[in-house]
Amino acid sequence: MIEAILFSVFSLGAVGFALNVVFRRNPVHCALHLVGVLLSLSGLFVLLNAQFIAAIQILVYAGAIMVLFLFVVMLLNVRGETPLLTPGAAKGFGFLFALLGFVELLWIVLGSGGGEGGASKPVVVLPPGFGSPVEIGKMLYSTWLFPFEVTSILLLIAVIGAVVLAKRKFV
Amino acid sequence: MESPVLPLAAYQLVAAMLFTVGIVGVLVRRSALIIFMSIALMLNAVNLSFVAFSKAHGQMDGQIFVFFVMSVAAAEVAVGLAILVAIFRNRETASVDEVHLLKG
Repeated sequence: MIEAILFSVFSLGAVGFALNVVFRRNPVHCALHLVGVLLSLSGLFVLLNAQFIAAIQILVYAGAIMVLFLFVVMLLNVRGETPLLTPGAAKGFGFLFALLGFVELLWIVLGSGGGEGGASKPVVVLPPGFGSPVEIGKMLYSTWLFPFEVTSILLLIAVIGAVVLAKRKFV
Repeated sequence: MESPVLPLAAYQLVAAMLFTVGIVGVLVRRSALIIFMSIALMLNAVNLSFVAFSKAHGQMDGQIFVFFVMSVAAAEVAVGLAILVAIFRNRETASVDEVHLLKG
């Protein structure tokens, strides 16, 4: 029961904040509503027994990435765009394609929800320590060691790329 | 462990809604900053989907994948915002409608 209440609060919060991100005029307000989305999602992660991922979500996304966004918003001093949305036909097509995509996703979710992961399947018993940092660390440094190292190289490349791009004499 | 009160489909539905809102943001807004935020929204919707499947199957590989998605998202945002700063310095605009050099 308590799980259902928390689920409704967090999911309604996530979708509501997300709508605000897309339809607000001031970029600073958009960024702050994005923080709301990320915090709500972190709550949903805790409900799904992913405590470590929830903590990482707050630290990395709501902390580091959002600071980066806000920093650029302040740096560029972008005021609210005078025409908010793209003009005319492009906007119509945008909404139309988004609607089509949503219908398709709905089709997939509701079509497979009963069969594959739904009520007909026996309840999966979670192993002890599911989602804890210990278990995640064990998997990350054994099975997923190579992707983990590749990720570190990717981050290094991103750092170098960002520094080179933001240098004054470039472009 | 306790039995799942909520079906998998409930979480997938929330993920689908968030993803759709992200699509609308990318297709409809004209500020490059908001487009980046919408992309972050879509990545988070997929993360929620991964974690929900991870619990439904009782395997943690989905959570590991979320970890990798987050690091790729961090790299994407860092490079993307650097490009945005470079463009803004040259052309004084962050609107994607006015940066159409590649259109010819």
